[in-house]
Order: sequence, then C-alpha cells, then structure tokens
Amino acid sequence: MPGADKETDLGERIEAFLAELKRGGRGSGETARSTAALLRRITAQARWSSAGDLMEIIRKEGRRMTAAQPSETTVGNMVRRVLKIIREEYARSRGSSEEADQQESLHKLLTSGGSSEENFRQHFAPLKANVIEAINELLTELEGTTDNIAMQALEHIHSNEVIMTIGRSRTVEAFLKDAARKRKFHVIVAECAPFCQGHEMATSLSEDGIETTVIPDAAIFAVMSRVNKVIIGTQTVLANGGLRAVNGTHTLALAAKHHSTPLIVCAPMFKLSPQVPGQNSLTCVNAHCPVFDYVPPELITLFISNIGGNAPSYIYRLMSELYHPEDHEL
Amino acid sequence: LNEAVLFVYFRTQMSQDPDVASAVAAIRSLLEFLKRDQSETILGLRENLTKAIGRLQEADSSVAVSSGGELFLRFISLTSLENPDLSQCRNVMIERGELFLKKISLSRGKVAKLCHTFIKDGAKILTHSSSRVVLKVLESAAADKKRFTVYVTESQPDSAGKLMADKLRRLNIPVTVVLDAAVGYIMEKVDLVIVGAEGVVESGGIINKIGTYQMAVCSKAHNKPFYVVAESFKFVRLYPLNQQDVPHRFKYKADTLKTAEDLNQEHPIIDYTPPSLITLLFTDLGVLTPSAVSDELIKLYL
Repeated sequence: MPGADKETDLGERIEAFLAELKRGGRGSGETARSTAALLRRITAQARWSSAGDLMEIIRKEGRRMTAAQPSETTVGNMVRRVLKIIREEYARSRGSSEEADQQESLHKLLTSGGSSEENFRQHFAPLKANVIEAINELLTELEGTTDNIAMQALEHIHSNEVIMTIGRSRTVEAFLKDAARKRKFHVIVAECAPFCQGHEMATSLSEDGIETTVIPDAAIFAVMSRVNKVIIGTQTVLANGGLRAVNGTHTLALAAKHHSTPLIVCAPMFKLSPQVPGQNSLTCVNAHCPVFDYVPPELITLFISNIGGNAPSYIYRLMSELYHPEDHEL
Repeated sequence: LNEAVLFVYFRTQMSQDPDVASAVAAIRSLLEFLKRDQSETILGLRENLTKAIGRLQEADSSVAVSSGGELFLRFISLTSLENPDLSQCRNVMIERGELFLKKISLSRGKVAKLCHTFIKDGAKILTHSSSRVVLKVLESAAADKKRFTVYVTESQPDSAGKLMADKLRRLNIPVTVVLDAAVGYIMEKVDLVIVGAEGVVESGGIINKIGTYQMAVCSKAHNKPFYVVAESFKFVRLYPLNQQDVPHRFKYKADTLKTAEDLNQEHPIIDYTPPSLITLLFTDLGVLTPSAVSDELIKLYL
C-alpha cells in the first residue's frame, strides 16, 4: 500500500539522518541543508490534518535529532525555523495579521481580549503546499549564505591589511578568497591545537595566492599588535550576542580587545541559536579537552551574516524574527 | 468618586496581601476606581484617572506605582481608540482589565521559571535587600533540588536584608547576612549576583534599593554575571543619564518629600544602575539583553 510504504520510507530516512548526525564530521552548512530537506520530506509524507499535528510531529523529531548530537545546534535551529514558518503560514491562511500577534509583548498584554490561546486545530487545504513552498525558500536562502557573506568582503578588507584568523572556517575562507580577487593583503592563521585545522586553512588560502603565515596559539598575543583586523567564524551565535566557537577563540578575542583591534565574526543566520550561556552550556563537552569556548558579546565588534552587518546588541532582535519564543524549548 | 476612598482601598490591598507587587495593587485600585467612576466622556475619565494616579503616588512614591499607573493609562488609551463610545468602552475596559490583572499576577511565576535554570548546583549567590521576585526564583531553584548558598546584604536604612534572610531560612536555604560595606569583600566568593528591580528604565538600566549600583560595579570588576529579575509591568519611560537625573519624587519616600525642608540633607532610598553593568534581564516576556528593553517600550507606547 502506498501510504504504508511512504511511512516506512520516511522512518528509514529519519533513522539514516540520525545515524549520520551521530557520526558527525559534516560541516554545519551541509547539516542545516539536510535538516531542512528532511523536514520538508516529513511535511510532505507524514500523516497530519492540522497545523497543530504537524508541529507536534516536527517537534518530536526535532527533539530526537538534537538529542543525537547536542553540540550541532544548527539542527535545532532549522527545526525552530520550520515551526515558525508553519505558524506564519497558518496565520496567513486564517487571514489574521501575523506580525503583532506572534511575540509576547507589553502591548499584547494590554490589548488582547478574551482567550488568545492559539491551538492550530483548523484544517486548511492549501497549508501543506504553502509550508513546502516556504521551506523551499528557506533552502534557497541556505544555499546562498556563504556567497552572500563573501560578497560583503570588499567593504571590510582593504589593501595591505594584516588579517588574523583562527582554525578553519569555510565561511571565512570564502570571505577572504573573495576579497583577494581585488585586494592584496596578508593573513595570519593561528593553528588551533590540538587538531591544527589552521594548517589546512593556510594551505587552502595560499593556493589562491594569498600571503599566509601560520603561528602557534601561544603567539597570538605577541603578534596581535601588528594585526589590523581579526576575522573569525563560529559554531554558534548565542541569544545574548555571544559566541560558542572553537577552543582558543576567547584568547584571541581578549588579545584583540586589549589592542583595540576590531573582531569581526562571519556567521550565517542559521547559526543563530536561542540558547543563552549559563543555561546548561558546556554539559556536552569533554572536560579534559574542551572543544568549544564561550566568547562574551563585549569582545565582539561586528557580526557579518548573509543579511548584512549587525552589532552584537542587535542579535536578540534578529532572533525574534527567526524563531517564535514558544519554540525555544523544543 | 472620592480619592480618599481610593487611597484607603490601595492601602488595604497592600496590607491584605503583602506578597503582591505594589504596581499590581495600584492597577487593581485603579480598576476599582474605573468601575465606580461616573464620568460621561473619555477625556473626563482620563482626567479623573490622572488625578487618582497622582493621589496614589502621594501614598507610595515608588517607581513601581508610577509605572503601574502609566501602564493603566496607556491601557485606557488603547482600548478607547477601538471603542469611541464610552458606555460600550467601559465594559470592554473592565473585562480586559480583569484579564490583564490575571495575566500580570502570573508574571512572577514565569520569571522564576526562566531564571532558576541559571542557578547551578553548588552556586553561591549574592543578592541585595529584600525582593519578592528573587525570593520566588530561589524558591523555584530549591524546589528543583538544587543546592546553593545565598549571601544577602543587610540593606540599611531599613534592614530589609534581614527579613529576606528569615524568609530564606524558612525555605531551608543556607543564607548569610553581610554588611552593605562588605560587598567588595564578598564578591570574590560568589558565582553570580541576582537582584530585583523597582523599575526598569528605557535604557535597559534599573532603579532599585540603594546599594545596587555599588554591587553592580563590584561584580563588573570581578567579572561576575549580574542578573536582574523583574516583571514587565515595571518597565517605565524614564531615561536617566546619571544618578542625579532620577526624579526626586522616586528617590525619597512620600512622607519625606512632604515634610523635609532641604532634600539635599536627606538620604535617597534608591539608585540607578546603568545597562552596561547588567548581564541579562529575566522578565515574563523572556530573557532580555538590556538593549531589548527599549524595543518593548517602543512597541507599547508607539
């Protein structure tokens, strides 16, 4: 029977995805895209009649996915994006204005009359098609993020500048390579022990004709006085504007602050997570060799994302546009 | 309606339920005032309400009452925009007012739910004076089987810190009272600082019992997180640039304002903590950075 086949096929795909997640090793961009694609498949193939059912299914799968690999936050972020998409499409189908109703606010406290509990139980026929189309738009956005960020490179990198970076970030790599097409500058890469991903970054950059130097992590402070800008990538952007980035980034940020060197973070929007530091932050980390560092927002000058440049104090606003507060906890 | 009756009603509210926030008591009194009001026009209603709020502030000059009053006035304006006819409007107002009151009486619970996950096992917490919201947060954390110790400042001139310590002891939380002057001394021992707020200003800073600013500066110097817990009805449209900028009517108790000859000789009972010293604000609208506060206020008053 076609129905049962679709369900087992869907179940298999989800299991395969979970196994891939547990194995790890994929870049976060790829993970985000495959998560969104899987959620689109769930929307298309799972059995649901109202928006509430679909949100329940997605939330359940989302919890399983985040439990499989807690340090990969992009999975949770994509689930929350899709949940927001469903809410918006539902509100649009109902004809109500979605803008003001979404967030909890003082204004809403004062003006709402009667029960404002949305239970998403109404059935709308075109809802499935609308949600799938919106997820397609999300996928297109995801595909273009690295290019959108790289396009902004020329505004920030000038000739004869010395740029410092740490470890290997595909976003920063694309950013620097795009600037190198028109400008001549020098890059210093901190090797980022113990995995020394900085070596691969340096090799890749020099293949494109960029003058690169590799330094050990201990030399970061010593060299910082000669650096004009620090450009780094990150694993996650937290809700308060801070970062969860590769081990050694906090040191780099402190050294930059000491020398008043601007610290620029290149991060696509799918890395924005509603977590706040202090809330079970480093529970999934090996105590002997911590994989991630927390960098507080005071040390960061600018975030460059696919939608442009933003100050760390503005991150909370971007977050409220991407995710609904009720979805912060899956 | 007699304003003296309103005054008495407010006082009874505060004494009957010592746990209620003063802004909530103020709004409850104003709602009662609205129910008994006899004006024929919306403008008349607003005028009466403004006078009533002024009278309430003479009873209790805290920022919280002022913010509660302003919020209620804004509530009236927003509702009257939708229904220009007063008699229809009045019923809608009363119904919405009751709903509003119900919602804000749940705010403290929401704040506690958000904040207690930030308290880890074995944490040492420093707090200032007596705050019902902080008490609720610590209560939730204790109910969650977390083990932590609390240091409370004595908080002169009214020794409110000792009351707080008593309440915490009743919850079986280990607590130590320290001198106000000992904040710098104790700061190296603590892991985090949690304080309440009487008012949250537009810049994201807070107005709270005197001594809070000192604590914030110390915690910044020692790199300890400084958390503020406050319900959203405490957001007030004030933008002080420094301590002197805070209006006199908030700095001193209502009785002092009436009887004092030279205010410069009186001790203020509140101070202003700028947003640069605050790490995060926990409100019933969510966990906010100080920059998010003005956004909320703009959304309300625009």
